[in-house]
Amino acid sequence: MNFLRLTVFVAALVPAICPAQMLNPKKLLDQPTDTWPTYNGDYSGRRFSTLNQITAANIPSLSLRWMYRIANVGPQRGVGSPSIKSTPLMVNGILYFTIPDHVWAVDARTGEELWRYDWVDKGGHLVGNRGVGMYGNWLYFLGPDGWFISLNAKDGKERWRKKVADEKLQYFTTMAPMVVGNHIIVGVGGDAMDVPGYLEARNPETGDLQWRWNSEPRVGEPGAETWPNKGAMEHGGGMTWLPGTYDPELNLLYWGTGNPNPVFAGQGRKGTNLWTCSIVALNPDTGKLVWYFQASPHDTHDWDNVETPVLFDAEVAGKPRKLLAQAARNGFFFVLDRTNGKSILTAPFVGTNWAKGIDAKGQPIPDPAKEPKVDGSLIDIPGGGGTNWMPPSLDPTTGLFYVNATRGYSLGYLTDTDERPEGYGGSGRGLWSEHILEAIDTKTGKARWIHAYPSSGGGGLGGPGILSTAGKVVFTGDYAGNLIGFDSANGKMLWHFQMGQSLGNGPMTYELDGTQYLVAGAGDTLFAFASTH
Amino acid sequence: MSWRRAVCLSISVVFAISLCAQTPVARGPGRANTREFLGLGPAPDAVAAERGEKLYGPNCGFCHGAKANGAEGPDLVRSPLVLHDEKSELIGPVIRQGRADKGMPAFAGFTDPQLYDIGQFLHMRVELAVNRGLYKVQNIVTGNAKAGEQYFAGAGRCTECHSATGNLAHVGTKFQPSDLQQAFLYPTARGFQSSGPKVSKVTVTLSSGQAVSGALKRLDDFNVSLYDAAGDYHSYAIASGVKVDVEDKLAGHRELLKHYTDADMHNVTAYLATLK
Repeated sequence: MNFLRLTVFVAALVPAICPAQMLNPKKLLDQPTDTWPTYNGDYSGRRFSTLNQITAANIPSLSLRWMYRIANVGPQRGVGSPSIKSTPLMVNGILYFTIPDHVWAVDARTGEELWRYDWVDKGGHLVGNRGVGMYGNWLYFLGPDGWFISLNAKDGKERWRKKVADEKLQYFTTMAPMVVGNHIIVGVGGDAMDVPGYLEARNPETGDLQWRWNSEPRVGEPGAETWPNKGAMEHGGGMTWLPGTYDPELNLLYWGTGNPNPVFAGQGRKGTNLWTCSIVALNPDTGKLVWYFQASPHDTHDWDNVETPVLFDAEVAGKPRKLLAQAARNGFFFVLDRTNGKSILTAPFVGTNWAKGIDAKGQPIPDPAKEPKVDGSLIDIPGGGGTNWMPPSLDPTTGLFYVNATRGYSLGYLTDTDERPEGYGGSGRGLWSEHILEAIDTKTGKARWIHAYPSSGGGGLGGPGILSTAGKVVFTGDYAGNLIGFDSANGKMLWHFQMGQSLGNGPMTYELDGTQYLVAGAGDTLFAFASTH
Repeated sequence: MSWRRAVCLSISVVFAISLCAQTPVARGPGRANTREFLGLGPAPDAVAAERGEKLYGPNCGFCHGAKANGAEGPDLVRSPLVLHDEKSELIGPVIRQGRADKGMPAFAGFTDPQLYDIGQFLHMRVELAVNRGLYKVQNIVTGNAKAGEQYFAGAGRCTECHSATGNLAHVGTKFQPSDLQQAFLYPTARGFQSSGPKVSKVTVTLSSGQAVSGALKRLDDFNVSLYDAAGDYHSYAIASGVKVDVEDKLAGHRELLKHYTDADMHNVTAYLATLK
């Protein structure tokens, strides 16, 4: 198939005579069960599957079908053993997943490796990689050092590479590129050196820039009044390091932005610091801002607001509404009208003593007394936040938003008291904390049920994502190596499997040959489960 | 569930200095390898940086600021040119030739070694900003020791378990104040234990009524394991009728976390720091 014909097919959303690996673009507009075409499984970010083969009644027979263990990678620079944080894509019976610097294609039936792609980085953080994006026959991957790379899904051969961020300025790139129409959306991370955040759309065939949205306004633009000066604005952070969500009907792209810089030292950037720590709605064809909601005005706690903005429809006061929900790292659960960003609900899901109230727009009001201090301030949220990047899930049948949260306390210290601080400018120290799985009622913002993990020791680092299913089972993991199936309505534990390493990605599911598979990544290993019947 | 209530200790998160924005829980790289984690280039030459500071101050500081973070002239710590430079191969020519279009004069007289030294001074300034493994908590002993002592004996009820002349004797010399503050707030967080979770005593009562006690090794929702007094290992599935009680010596510390004002905290730190 030649290049021109392929382009025409993709543009026309017609699968036609596809090569075996090709992703039918229609799948991106659906909630498919035979394909997991994007990081969150669909554009809504719900991570809810309509598959219902695995239920409370038959879950005891859910058993391991295969394992794939990463070999010949060794410790990764500065982070140690390989850790799968990516959610695999599943297209035409093949799974595509990543760790920093590496991409694999494995058979979704057997775990057999088809190919592997290795990137040799020249810097950047290897803290994680969230996976690949797919458009037709092509995969998109980010090297940690700001390289945007396209591969042929058939054999993993590189098509081209484009530089999207400068690792010398302490940018690093970890996200799974997101495909919207003929745009590949790419975000960046990095807050060590006070650089500005941005989000880009790139051409799927050439990798060339289509548009760039800046996380900060420029001098004279709306929002500039929320910064004291040009210098602060130009170094203001607001990274875009997790995939967003998309509403095809409204043609709006929803994205969370990271913390402002310097991270803990706010004295050189007085003001609310738009559009950091916000949820923004952008036009995916132009990159123009349509609305914003700022979750943490003038953040000084490193509470990136990149957590998935999950899209769902529900009735509010008897009227059907298009909504967006987010459990934010700052401890608040937000429900917004996704057509205009207006607040429907703001409610804490863990401690929130950093805020002294909620303003008329539903945005928390930060308490200056709880900013990091030279002698320390005591915060009732752990240092990593009330939650973090781990994907949550929303089950439209229960109306519950499931989030892996952490409650506890931490100390915030200001270490750079200069009127123009730089870098982080401060640090945090952990105290007591406890991991919980919380099922938040999207109508009230209150927890319907909470499961507190009693873990002590074993299992190591986790970053457990969540999958909910029409079989009324929610899958996630603890921090002690267990993959667990919970009753979605009441949090009762139905099933577990000890993986030896803790769940580090979002579990995903698909149907193949009439069988529902569940796939989870823990440390260096991918596990696939299915029921015997 | 009673056993779960008993198990309140959980994981103490020492996220501190080493964690980056994307790291969810403790296991940040230590101070030593923050450079490696951040993917920084070669470490600056500290001796050359010291020489360079003496050249930078009188020649450059009046425009770029004594700390190089900008004044009339641009901030050099966050300068892309400086960040791309390693050994003054980029910085050197700019100093020598100046930037006439931007009002920067040429400093043609510097020798190559001097340019190298100035470059290393700038790289040290970058290092101190970017490498958060090097950040130092400043003076945190700002509280009123007398008020702290009163809190210790009064509202905090600390004397129920602790004594300034007993188990906390000389605590002010054993710990840096910043570690002391963290450690008294929650002892397993840092300081009092060198590493890892505190060893807890656990008692498992089986459905038969038989009870086994020992040092907790591991606990999750499904299994518990321990070493008994003889050093023998025991492991149990947590089925219905099995009760697990973990001795919880830190309940008082956790309870206080809900009540401290920042002033209480600083006062107690100031008091404990006097226990030399």
